[in-house]
Amino acid sequence: MADYTPDYVGTVTKYVFVESPTMTAGELALRAYEASEGVLIKETCFGLQVTGEPEAVEKLIEEIRTFDPVHIFVKDRGFPPGDPRRCRANLGGARPGYLGHEREFRVLRYITRGLEELDRRGEEPEEPEKPAVPPARGKRPLLDIKRLQELIETEES
Amino acid sequence: MAKVFIYPATSLILSDLVARFGHKPLGAALGIRERIQTAGVDSPPLQITPEDPKRGLKYAAVEVPSGVRGRMAIYGPLIEEAEAAIIVTDADLAFGCMGCARTDELILFSLRQKDMPILELKYPTTDEEGIEFVAAVRKFLTSLPKGGES
Amino acid sequence: MSRKVRIAQLSCGPEYSGIQKEIYDAAESVDAEVFFPDIALADVERAVDAFGLDVRSADLKLMIARGKALVDGKVDADGVFIGTCFRCAEAAIVRNELRRYIHEHSRLPVVSYSFTERTTAGTLLTRMEALTTIARRRALLAREEQTGITMGVDSGSSTTKAVVMKENKIVGTGWLPTTEVIASADGAVAQALEMAGLTRDDIQAIGTTGYGRFLIGKHLGADLVQEELTVNSKGAVYLAGHQRGAATVIDIGGMDNKAISVIDGIPGTFTMGGICAGASGRFLEMTAKRLGVDITELGPLAMKGMGANVPMNSYCIVFGTQSLVNALAAGSSREDVAAAACHSVAEQVFEQQLQEVDIKEPVIMVGGTSLIEGLVYAMGRLLQTEIVVPPYSQYIGAVGSALLASGFIKGE
Repeated sequence: MADYTPDYVGTVTKYVFVESPTMTAGELALRAYEASEGVLIKETCFGLQVTGEPEAVEKLIEEIRTFDPVHIFVKDRGFPPGDPRRCRANLGGARPGYLGHEREFRVLRYITRGLEELDRRGEEPEEPEKPAVPPARGKRPLLDIKRLQELIETEES
Repeated sequence: MAKVFIYPATSLILSDLVARFGHKPLGAALGIRERIQTAGVDSPPLQITPEDPKRGLKYAAVEVPSGVRGRMAIYGPLIEEAEAAIIVTDADLAFGCMGCARTDELILFSLRQKDMPILELKYPTTDEEGIEFVAAVRKFLTSLPKGGES
Repeated sequence: MSRKVRIAQLSCGPEYSGIQKEIYDAAESVDAEVFFPDIALADVERAVDAFGLDVRSADLKLMIARGKALVDGKVDADGVFIGTCFRCAEAAIVRNELRRYIHEHSRLPVVSYSFTERTTAGTLLTRMEALTTIARRRALLAREEQTGITMGVDSGSSTTKAVVMKENKIVGTGWLPTTEVIASADGAVAQALEMAGLTRDDIQAIGTTGYGRFLIGKHLGADLVQEELTVNSKGAVYLAGHQRGAATVIDIGGMDNKAISVIDGIPGTFTMGGICAGASGRFLEMTAKRLGVDITELGPLAMKGMGANVPMNSYCIVFGTQSLVNALAAGSSREDVAAAACHSVAEQVFEQQLQEVDIKEPVIMVGGTSLIEGLVYAMGRLLQTEIVVPPYSQYIGAVGSALLASGFIKGE
């Protein structure tokens, strides 16, 4: 049995996803590099991976979030960036976690919508009229009417 | 800052919202990071070694498949550490660390057994549900001890 | 150097059982690489829907989608390894159905396996080797006739067998219990050569198989060192005179059992089990010993008895022996106990292995245990078919090796 000696001990790595109509992953990376102060940044197709001491990463993440608060999403990653054990090229395909991200990407725009609305309402959340938990599936209309309108307008413009 | 177990433990959305509203998300990445950063026997890809399913015996009996026990070796300690939990109940397409339905059932049961605040909801499928989802999560998180806006 | 054989891995749980590295290591040792067919989330949803098996676990859905991508030709592979956790019912259903689906809709060789955290690369090696052989040596496996003078040696866990063949005929055989691996092989070889009236210098090519294949392969300077799954498939259909079309080969060995679905002499799907020794030739050896008969007498003895008279389920060799001792103490006849032991082994193999391959007739039983007629009878009853036991079936690995080795004769 071979021994294992880890790299990047004591660091944290976080994914930064950007799902924005106004900011590309490349632009996000450019601005993040400027603020990085020694934190390792790796650009990806969906945003960034940042790696470094926990406090430094935390500080940078706070800064990055301000670029576009409702379109930037962050989560922890177990592996350091570019780790061959998780690399698509070595596995012959995407690791399973990527498909899980794909699942949540579909939902991100609704989360963005929620964050925007809460921003508009201000610090103190209003008491929701309806119960906080979204209604069960099946009762919803197939397509949200506002969303339909948005789609029509986008098509026309 | 409260330690909030997120379910699915691989969720980008929950991980983001919990941290955004000033708490610490407890998810799969923390358990994997601990293994990736600990020296020992080489066991790619996840540095989960055959010892992990044995550690998992604390949470599931020996006749429970090794993959369940290995996963529980990651989640068990995180569940013990958790002070609250947010659960998305229709997370049927969460793979890898959350890819085993039997483990997921055991995780949910273990969370519900703990005397701690739990918020259960579904993924939003419309703008309105998105607003409700985020509002519910924020309300839940601000109600937790030492909670607050980031 | 030849291209690496690409084995698609369809699995649920190996990373979390801590054994993914064992799979990588087993593949690497036979110059193969394991990969995960690349698909998108939408493919998973579509594939699960089309496949029609509504499972809960997302990683099992992923397995189905990856399997479908292989069958649809969207992803290229040379072989398929299907692995799921031992004792998971949901995964066992997927493993089985997916294995059947790939077998029926493609020409890809498939091996399926259920692992625990104790599974090692060594356990997986023979299976991976068989997968790569089928991919790499199709031309060699197409051989249907032995030519020249060749020898095959099968170094098994219980016995060592040697066979000398000349112009498509078996002219010498040798058999010894495996004690010291090399000494047993030398002894069996000497017997076979003597019977054939030949010397080592007359032998034009040598093939080895069985647990000791690498060691004796090196010792004898073998031209072909090959695992027993492909060799036994080839040997079985050759000896049974059924080289074309479908067949099922069952080999209940001393330590593990092989069940192989063969098409045109080449394994399509196969399993190799041995989680519990109760389902092995070793248990029958112990039974014979306890009954005070030679193993060769166990079969005829069993044919005179009624297995149903003795309760025995030898899932484990220790419990099986316990049932046996209890039955004798309670006054059961030796004949009935012998029959019950045969039935028990057949039943275990039926339950544990034969569910993982498609049973197509003819069913050919080979290996030393195929000479125990009580066992063959019990298996036939379970499968509701007439089992074929070809001549020289106990030398199966050695015959298959000698046959394939003739492809290495210079000038061939």
